[in-house]
Amino acid sequence: MVKLPVSYERRIYMDYRKLVETIPVAKREPLSNKLIDLVLSSKNDEKMPNQLANTILHHWQNDILISESGLTALLEAAALLEPDKTIEVFTQLELASCAEQLKEVTAKT
Amino acid sequence: MVKFGIEFVPREPYWKIIYYAIQAEKGGFSNLWITDHFNNRNVYVTLTAAAIYTNKITFGPGVTNPYMVNPVFTAQAIATLNELAPGRVVLGMGAGDKTTLESVGVEMQKPLTAIVEAVDIFRKITSGENVIYKGEVFKTAGAKFLFKPKGGIPVYVGAQGPKMLELAGKIGDGVLINACHPKDVEYAVNCVKEGIRQASKRLDEVDIAAYTSFSVHEDIKKANKAAVPVVSFIVAGSPPQVLERHGIDVKKAEEIKEALKANDWGRAFSGVTPEMISAFSVCGTPDMCIERIAELLKSGISQFVVGSPIGANVREAINLISEKIIHHFKT
Repeated sequence: MVKLPVSYERRIYMDYRKLVETIPVAKREPLSNKLIDLVLSSKNDEKMPNQLANTILHHWQNDILISESGLTALLEAAALLEPDKTIEVFTQLELASCAEQLKEVTAKT
Repeated sequence: MVKFGIEFVPREPYWKIIYYAIQAEKGGFSNLWITDHFNNRNVYVTLTAAAIYTNKITFGPGVTNPYMVNPVFTAQAIATLNELAPGRVVLGMGAGDKTTLESVGVEMQKPLTAIVEAVDIFRKITSGENVIYKGEVFKTAGAKFLFKPKGGIPVYVGAQGPKMLELAGKIGDGVLINACHPKDVEYAVNCVKEGIRQASKRLDEVDIAAYTSFSVHEDIKKANKAAVPVVSFIVAGSPPQVLERHGIDVKKAEEIKEALKANDWGRAFSGVTPEMISAFSVCGTPDMCIERIAELLKSGISQFVVGSPIGANVREAINLISEKIIHHFKT
């Protein structure tokens, strides 16, 4: 059987998804709040892919922004728009290992 | 019970505006208004996104004008939006801003007549009529949609001067009053009421909205700081009689105008005084804003519109308004 190559975007998504899965449930809401503030106040609007923006809006509309898929989209957006500040957010929330993982993921992008 | 509306300027990308729109809907706002200026992102594209990502909020352009966009096209856009979000769409129509119109070479001719005719054409064509119209400003020689529009779309007329306010009361299903200070709003509402009386309508048939420049923060200094740029532009654009009515030094206003013209923001913003902020915005802590809104309600408004800048941090400000201000008036 021929193994189909996994797209670059899909690999990145999976990296973020794996990272989100390691975030303790109790930290997800404060993280989501900080990430959304980061994204909304960012001046790097032009870096936001429209599909990712639509995914965030869909999750927000349906109150599932702190679900794993919602948080993955938010994290991906925050890391694209404000990579350094996103790492700082993890540090502030005492998620040191997540901050390290994030550095690795953002280094690939 | 008073309704709360919120205005956004689509200068920011659509996803930020729509994020805030969803937040406003969740927070108890009943109306969403998107401004229409050629130099920002398009109002109907923004409203389309709002229609898709919201579920119950009423929305519309706040406001469009019949000079830049022919009323037939406006009717087409609004009727299509009304298919996307049936019963949630309204039209906000005003005469527009003379300076902006002039910048694209469009003449603002006979504003009162233009509004009457544009609203008339809008209502006829969105009711499915074949419109043959011989107005002073607009003419159609048989304009009819090739689809069946769902009619009955409410029309709000944006107004500031006494004649337009009276007209708005007369022909509008709603009125958007461009004022913030209780003295100005009371005067405006009286003009609107006169129009309502002339049209033999009941007062509760017309939604009277105060469309305000608004800024809220728990820290008054931060609320003021956010309001200053917007207020500086309002002061610069206000006629001397309006400034004098609020005890504002016309010479100081002229200095702000000159500074803005020279793009000297620092000088312009530093010229804004607390009196100017009080006259041309609803600004302060949540309690201060509640007090001001309560005063405005005495004049008979039925909708309070929170307009730019909303607050230093829009997301925080919407949360504050929802949790403290709307909650206060709904309990």
